[in-house]
Amino acid sequence: MARFLLKRFALAIITLFMVSVIVFMVAQLLPGNIGRNVLGGFATQQSVNEYNHALGVDRPVYVQYASWISKFVQGNLGSSLEYKVPLWPLLRPSLVNSLELAAVAFVLVVPLSILGGVLAALRRGRVADRVITLTGLSLTAVPEFVSAIILILVFGLLFKVLPVNANAPPGSGFFTHIRYLLLPAMALTMVLFGYIARMARAGTIEALDADYTRTAFLKGIPTRTVIWRHVLRNSLLPTIAVIATQMGYLIGGLVVIEKVFNYNGIGQRIYTAASNKDFTMLESGVLVIAIVYLTAMLIADILYSVLNPRIRHAGAQ
Amino acid sequence: MDRETRRQLERYRQDEAGPFESTFIDDVIAGEFDRRELLRRASILGLSVPMVGILLRAAGEPAAAFGATARAAASSSRLRLAIIPPPTGAIEPLTFEDQGGLETGGICGEFLTRATPSKTLLPELAVSWKPNANATVWTFKLRPNVKFHTGQAMTSADVVATWKALASPGSQALSAIGSYLAPAGVVAVDDLTVAFHLNSSVSNFPYLTSSDTYQAIILPANYKMGTFTSTPQTTGAFMITAYNPGVGATYQRFPGWWGGTAPLAGVDVTYYSAAAAADAALLGGQVDLIGQIQLATDRSLFNNSNVQIFKARGATHREMCMRVDVNNPLHDYRVRQAIALTLDRPAIIKQLFNNLADIGNDSPFAPVYGLARSVPQRKKNIPKAKQLMAAAGHAKGFAITLTTETTGEIPELAQIVKQSVKAIGINMTLAIESATAYFAGTSTGPPKGWGNTPWLNADLNITDWGSRPVPNVFLVAALSTLSKSGAGVWNAAHYSNPKFNSDVKSFLAAASFKDQNKYAIAMQQLLLHDTPVVFPYFYYYLAAGSKSVKGYVADPLGQIYLSKTSLA
Repeated sequence: MARFLLKRFALAIITLFMVSVIVFMVAQLLPGNIGRNVLGGFATQQSVNEYNHALGVDRPVYVQYASWISKFVQGNLGSSLEYKVPLWPLLRPSLVNSLELAAVAFVLVVPLSILGGVLAALRRGRVADRVITLTGLSLTAVPEFVSAIILILVFGLLFKVLPVNANAPPGSGFFTHIRYLLLPAMALTMVLFGYIARMARAGTIEALDADYTRTAFLKGIPTRTVIWRHVLRNSLLPTIAVIATQMGYLIGGLVVIEKVFNYNGIGQRIYTAASNKDFTMLESGVLVIAIVYLTAMLIADILYSVLNPRIRHAGAQ
Repeated sequence: MDRETRRQLERYRQDEAGPFESTFIDDVIAGEFDRRELLRRASILGLSVPMVGILLRAAGEPAAAFGATARAAASSSRLRLAIIPPPTGAIEPLTFEDQGGLETGGICGEFLTRATPSKTLLPELAVSWKPNANATVWTFKLRPNVKFHTGQAMTSADVVATWKALASPGSQALSAIGSYLAPAGVVAVDDLTVAFHLNSSVSNFPYLTSSDTYQAIILPANYKMGTFTSTPQTTGAFMITAYNPGVGATYQRFPGWWGGTAPLAGVDVTYYSAAAAADAALLGGQVDLIGQIQLATDRSLFNNSNVQIFKARGATHREMCMRVDVNNPLHDYRVRQAIALTLDRPAIIKQLFNNLADIGNDSPFAPVYGLARSVPQRKKNIPKAKQLMAAAGHAKGFAITLTTETTGEIPELAQIVKQSVKAIGINMTLAIESATAYFAGTSTGPPKGWGNTPWLNADLNITDWGSRPVPNVFLVAALSTLSKSGAGVWNAAHYSNPKFNSDVKSFLAAASFKDQNKYAIAMQQLLLHDTPVVFPYFYYYLAAGSKSVKGYVADPLGQIYLSKTSLA
């Protein structure tokens, strides 16, 4: 197990290194002179050169990369070129907000999808199965901004029961925060429900058809026990992998949802940084998301290996 | 005019008035101005309230109802304000160049004077001002007992330090004042008097000290760049107490404000990058006021019984600039005229603004200025446009690219232009970029003096321009020949006409309305002939609020002034 984990961890580090190189290089390819962008059109060329020199962006690219990554691993993310303030105080609340929204969405979508998928599998070919499958597919096919706007219109403007913007007022309590996050979380649930439920349904059907399930039934074990002990444990393995891969999207990829609900998440921060050529924010923000994403994947791998000893042993060999 | 009024006017001429004031009195007696224009011009010259009363009598107008506007009592209410879009950089008044930044700074900042939507100048941190004989020196008396949010008293040293910085390299205010004022020209006369020694005569200089020059927020002499949002240190009714870039800002009522007590206890600003989200927040009751809206992007707010729309008629506009110095058909003025003649302007403002706009006549003299109104309006005329194209040797048309930005209704305007010029055989391709990309790059230096930014170098482009109470910036920065003094820095058409430059100079120095109008007409006619820029319309500045917002007045430039605003 320890060897498996070490191997996964090493892979994550290599992936992070590659992400850092890619994002740094892509940022270098964006057009425009940093000094000129920051100081404006009326600044003299000399002050632009001095600014670039002070920032170190007139050095060779590999030197800039080495300097940036070595500071990053020491926890120094640098300063925003756009706002001229340290990055971490900007990124941290955005990251926390994204994690909060991801958590609320996770709590809504995972049980609901798994329940829907298992129920559909147990009622295979019957009305319940058709309703769940078709509803899931339909919801997935609707773009998230469309479902978000429908939710806003119905719950925010027509019935006025939920706030239409997701940022709770400063100093709000836990439940107020949850209330403000409900609409965006519901929009995400609508997007992800069909996909996760479909995976859970397929996994459950496969487990129901497996020899060990038939044997368990033949041994006279009660249905509920068979499903709980034998079916679910095996059927949820692919579902966990799917959920883990969605964590990156849930944390860093919600630009559209964040825009529609005017939520200060890390996706919107990075999008704005890319639009406004805030290279330092862009580079560090992407790397922070990558770290969170890979951590989620690592946790999923551990869970997967706990549930499936074959993976654990194969990974260790 | 009765004998007593005449006697008072003559005494004023003898005892106090300089040439500018005397010319103004002559204009009033000659009946050159309506009431609004009389009040506006009196405010430029800084005339006292009794003197304005005498002038109104001389003009046969009823007396003005001067005095403080009624203000609601202080309450514990906080205004929730939406600003679209967020500031694009650090909140640093000296370098303000975007709407989000000027709105954020303007809530807590104050200026020497304040330009009102009616274009009358109100005293703010200055209580009076006066020109010398040829308007090359303007002397401002400062308001006594003004305190910064830090507690220190405001003196002429603070005003001089602020204005020296504004007139120095690196200041974005140079586009407005760089042609007239050098840092050495700002001089403290005494603790509460400041004199501005200008390079040339500027008869409407007090406007440049107003909220119109949005970078000119008065700051303490010991102000350190980069501390605007971390330390409350302006003089306004509200002080900024928290700022989260891209997210929002918080303001608290300033108990030591010279103007008394503001009705609101504070202001909570939320930045929005999408108009739809701000609109939903207003309709859903999560914000009380949106600082700026447009018909094109905020249609859901119009004709809604729960929303009040605040309008300010001004000179906000779009400029379609045609490079006069390129080796393509745009080089020929007849082609540029032909393009301008394809536009059906009344239909455009109906479609884009539901008529909440004035028609432009291809000059910066917006109808609201009341200048050059005798020059006939340019109208759609396809046969004439075809004749001009044929005369220029382009009867079969040509292909060209129009470069512009995704701001407000501009993409729709670009589509309209593209469709319109088809009638004269022009095959137009649209290159619509994000505002960031459109304004990216250098705007000074090689190859032609305007750097490499698309907005100043594309052959044909459309750019957004904010309103100004006087057309100085449009005439000097956008249409004059490029010079080291700061003229022509935003001249995207690269237009250069010595006669026009000379008329601009004469216009700025002219004391009487008659002379100003004479030069405005000359410039209008030159611009209609040369057509370096198409000014299709001047649209109204719009804001939206819930019905509970009271006492708010929209500003044509977009300043959000909340000292008299309250919530019901």
